[in-house]
Amino acid sequence: MSEVAIQIRGMNKFYGTFHALKEINLTVQKGDRIVICGPSGSGKSTMIRCVNRLEEHQAGVIEVLGTELNDEVGNIDVIRRDVGMVFQHFNLFPHLTVLDNCTLSPMLSRKVSQAEAEKTAMMYLERVKIPEQAEKFPGELSGGQQQRVAIARALCMKPEILLFDEPTSALDPEMISEVLEVMVELAQDGMTMLCVTHEMGFARQVADRVIFMDKGEIVEEGPPEDFFNSPKEERTRTFLQQILSH
Amino acid sequence: MLKTRKARAWAIQIGFLAIVAFLLISSTLVARDTLHAQGMNSGFGFLDRSTGWDVGFSLIEFSPFDTYGKVIVVGLLNTIFLGIIGIVLANVVGLTIAVFRTSENGALNAIGTLYIEIFRNVPIILQAFFWYAILTHLPRPKDAYNLGEVAFVSARGVYLPGLNVTGSSALIFFIALVLGIFFYIWFTSARRFRSLTPSAKKNGKLTIVGLVLVIAVAALVMGRIPETNLFSIPTLKGLNIREGIRIPPEMSALAVSMAVYGGAYLAEIIRAGFLSVGKGQAEAAEALGLSPWYVFTRVRLPLAFRAILPTLTNQYVWLFKATTLGIAIGFTDFFSVISVSINQSGQTLELIAILMVGFLVMNNTISFVLNRVNKAIKLKGTQLRT
Repeated sequence: MSEVAIQIRGMNKFYGTFHALKEINLTVQKGDRIVICGPSGSGKSTMIRCVNRLEEHQAGVIEVLGTELNDEVGNIDVIRRDVGMVFQHFNLFPHLTVLDNCTLSPMLSRKVSQAEAEKTAMMYLERVKIPEQAEKFPGELSGGQQQRVAIARALCMKPEILLFDEPTSALDPEMISEVLEVMVELAQDGMTMLCVTHEMGFARQVADRVIFMDKGEIVEEGPPEDFFNSPKEERTRTFLQQILSH
Repeated sequence: MLKTRKARAWAIQIGFLAIVAFLLISSTLVARDTLHAQGMNSGFGFLDRSTGWDVGFSLIEFSPFDTYGKVIVVGLLNTIFLGIIGIVLANVVGLTIAVFRTSENGALNAIGTLYIEIFRNVPIILQAFFWYAILTHLPRPKDAYNLGEVAFVSARGVYLPGLNVTGSSALIFFIALVLGIFFYIWFTSARRFRSLTPSAKKNGKLTIVGLVLVIAVAALVMGRIPETNLFSIPTLKGLNIREGIRIPPEMSALAVSMAVYGGAYLAEIIRAGFLSVGKGQAEAAEALGLSPWYVFTRVRLPLAFRAILPTLTNQYVWLFKATTLGIAIGFTDFFSVISVSINQSGQTLELIAILMVGFLVMNNTISFVLNRVNKAIKLKGTQLRT
């Protein structure tokens, strides 16, 4: 298990003149579970959104599963099919049932038959513990249930890598644990995961590495024990004090 | 006595009804006396009299010996025919321009903006005259634009290949086809049929398709004009074009005006729909690896459509009423047929009543159907995050 999943070298991103990401270097092996944290506006979301090209980087190289992310349309499609993403606001398709949310892309972009897509969808809906909601519409589910559907939807594409963009930030406190539980199980099954999250309990429990970002830079990177117990950088210490003190 | 809210509400409503009843009764009495004094007959008996005049364009067979009742049906059918064609074309134009307007491509964007600023701001009646003038200044039939020997475009109209069947049977054919498509879509997408087994679904679909085919073919066979070829291909004979179906320039001009003017309005509504779709849904679709085409057709378009359907209904009803411009350029639509009938028969009140009831029924049908669709497809649940 030492295959490289994501390789980022000297990546820079600008919004106009604003330098959003500065010289990002990051290597993710297959099976790695990485938690990215940092104050808001530090570029965490932007960085993982660059990995499946929801944002375009201006300089440097991003390679995902051996394919370079550049302007070639084909490359982007290939990478997006193998990289799943879970969003802060779930972004389910409100006009489709839960089941149709899960089968849409497998049927259209992987050309899986309807019967097979539905079988796979039900398997993953069972895995996130809401198979009984398959025929409902997203708006009829609670936030926690919607986020679990979103995870199932991403899994139905059988991705190699899953990106989580603050998956629990929009949830009511009592629903956070049901989503984290699913994420922990995924981690235990060996999924390659990049999670932007402030759930430090989750980071301690499953992360191989924690990355701290501030002002568009990776400030510190290390295994959770070192990161939480003996942070090297001043900025990390301040941040940890702020989020752990309450 | 009027101290409770309930009592007051009742009093107001009774008072209102009394006023309406008084107005209705007194105006009926006045009308009756006046008509009587002028020696005119009221009533709908005239509908059985023959008209003595012909119409310019009719979907069903019509001659001057036919009755007023029939000429009104001719006008109604023409209005419905034009309305459907105009609204369908307006949608095509509107969607295209809306896509242009929301695209990030500067050139397309500019074309879209230019289009809307020009065609939205010129009154539709001027546009009808404009297109009519252009269409009637096309080459004469003997110099008509020849589209592969099967269709001709000339100042006397557009000639399309057709079938040698009677107008009524063609009408039944199209009604069967439209209803068939409607029921097919309803059957495949309505929630109440979702739980059917695959074989039951298949049987249902086959039944619908089979039924439509049988009715459609039967209509064509029964309406076959004897001793002619089944296909009627327009051909140039001497100075004129024979056979085929002639779409008169009046009709084309109105259809084009409705498409161009209505399309400009629809484009802005559809654009608003696109802008209302949350960026998140489109991003999620992209992140799942869906191609831009599927992101558009499966996510952005359906969501936009749901957001704007009530406004679209409004616009369709409005566009349908624009068919009455037929009277300005001489197309025998419902309004112009009624208007000529008034001149010829003098039965003003009755004919105006028929005209108003006709439009009320047609437009209420449009809004009833679309409101039902709106209710059926509206986003379910209260926990929407878009």
